[in-house]
Amino acid sequence: MSDLKETLKEQIIEQLNLEDLTPSDIKNDAPLFGDGLGLDSIDALEFIVLLEQNYDIKISDPSEGKEIFQSVDSLAAYIEKNK
Amino acid sequence: MKILACSKISDQGIFLNGIQQSIEKTTNNWKKELYIKLGVEYPKFYKMDALAKMAFLGFELISNSTSIDHLADDELSLLFANKHSSYDTDQKYVNSYMEKGSPGPSLFVYTLPNILTGELSIRNKWYGENIFFIQEKFDPEFFIDQINFYFSKGSNACLCGWVDSAKGIEECFLFLVENKAGELSIEELNNYYKQ
Amino acid sequence: MGIETGMERTVRTIYMTYGAMVTPLGNTPEDNFQSMSLGNSGVQKQSASGFNGEDWPLGKIESLHSDNRYTELLRNTCNALKAKHGQQLFQSEKTLIIISSTKADIESLPEDTFTSTRKIIQEVLSPKNAPLIISNACISGVLAINTAADYIKAGKFDTVVSIGIDVLTDFIVFGFQSLFALSDQPSKPFDKNRTGISIGEAAGAIIVSSVPPDSDKFYVEYLGGSSSNDANHISGPSRTGEGLFRSINRTAKRANINLKDLNFISAHGTGTLYNDEMESIAFDRLGLNNIPLNSLKGYFGHTLGAAGIIEILSTMLMMENNILLKSPGYDEQGTSCKLNVVRENTKSDVQLALKTASGFGGGNASIIIKKKV
Repeated sequence: MSDLKETLKEQIIEQLNLEDLTPSDIKNDAPLFGDGLGLDSIDALEFIVLLEQNYDIKISDPSEGKEIFQSVDSLAAYIEKNK
Repeated sequence: MKILACSKISDQGIFLNGIQQSIEKTTNNWKKELYIKLGVEYPKFYKMDALAKMAFLGFELISNSTSIDHLADDELSLLFANKHSSYDTDQKYVNSYMEKGSPGPSLFVYTLPNILTGELSIRNKWYGENIFFIQEKFDPEFFIDQINFYFSKGSNACLCGWVDSAKGIEECFLFLVENKAGELSIEELNNYYKQ
Repeated sequence: MGIETGMERTVRTIYMTYGAMVTPLGNTPEDNFQSMSLGNSGVQKQSASGFNGEDWPLGKIESLHSDNRYTELLRNTCNALKAKHGQQLFQSEKTLIIISSTKADIESLPEDTFTSTRKIIQEVLSPKNAPLIISNACISGVLAINTAADYIKAGKFDTVVSIGIDVLTDFIVFGFQSLFALSDQPSKPFDKNRTGISIGEAAGAIIVSSVPPDSDKFYVEYLGGSSSNDANHISGPSRTGEGLFRSINRTAKRANINLKDLNFISAHGTGTLYNDEMESIAFDRLGLNNIPLNSLKGYFGHTLGAAGIIEILSTMLMMENNILLKSPGYDEQGTSCKLNVVRENTKSDVQLALKTASGFGGGNASIIIKKKV
């Protein structure tokens, strides 16, 4: 699971063009949206692309994303459950 | 027209009001290093594109030396220009759908040069006038004309900028002027730019 | 008001006349008006226009056929301007050209996207003064008129030709698609069942001048304009419509008019849930709920850098012909604040009009124009 989380952090950085960040800058349980990393609904769309391209998981309704994308922990848990 | 402060970021280094700052602009990570050195807490910085990051940092530098708290939240006009529009981000966005499999929305929203004025406004809660021009080179006379237009329409201050990121060139020149007694000549402005 | 700036500040009347108008509905202002009055829309499903082969409804100018539709459209528009107004106007040292475009010749990447613009202007119009380019998302067109007025009021130029232009490209269509912002039916601004934007392409020009037009030419007067940022989000509008609210107030003050005296509002009205709702909130805050209002985007699509210019031209055409044109796609109120959306073409003496625009980067802009009495 921790390998998945490390990989996820790299993928998040790549997909969202957070080029100045390294995986060590992102804590597993830190909020990604709102106050945390400051991501918003546009960035949530990128997460949908990330899940589809890297894990073959399709989210058809963008509004479902809020729960799933809360943190690296919740994202990893969702992937484990749905892959 | 009184110039209150200016910052310049280029291959020559990082300058505030004509004085070179101790942080180098040599590594690829310079934006992050400057962000950390300035002690700013603004996570949204990380998802900005290069243009917005530079404008953001350029103004954070200025605000360390100069306060504009006396201005109402819509008295500051943002007058910006560059040569290459949003070139770097345009290329990255095109790459996202030509090479990487699908168009990236978080890139697409930055494929406009004026987004940086939006980022500055959001950060500082400014509701004033904004405009972005595409010019062949930094033209001090043009900026002075524009500043005079906005002063005559009731603006009390202007934050002006030449911010460009294209083909390996990164450049950010910001200057803050207030509608107060004082002279700012074309030559003086050009000298600040040439630091 | 106004500390001495050392700049000439005469009170000059600023006239606005038709320059050119090339849209999916026609190649001249008159042709466009004819087509719009018949209720035509230039927005049609374009096959395989989407990233995954979707048939998005788009406002396409079918007559453009070359490899580079942007340069073709710009050249056509400049030729139309030259034919109608004569070369001398553009070559005068008292004339400035302003171009408003969001992406210009974007398909020429890795070439600079604005290089061909300068080249074509130079080739066709040969102006004495280098053209000015404004690229500020969807409010660029309105900013171009405001900037024209700035230069004329300061006595720097007598005439400013403001040209707005953008063309349909994969760059733009795929981008809005990635934001889930495109409507799979032609857009329905302010309507309850609206689902998004229909992108369009167009080019238009307005001649802004301190020189009184010939007596047989229709004109309107520019009374004032302004812009204001929402300070909220780079691609979503403010939930309180703060930037638009402030811009309209500022413009009314500069124009020295009471907003209640407006006869018509040409709104931005893109057809997205958020934009149209935000506009209704701003108009409501200003007490403008009963002023007849439309969105012209149902006729042409959202033409981005050209939108401000061609929608002001359309407003002028309505004022000249004493008619309020209906807002295409509108059937039922779809915003929380009530608006007086024009449902069918209505004879009306439109004397005083407000044009608004909102765009990415949190920008909002507005102008007020008056018909000669």
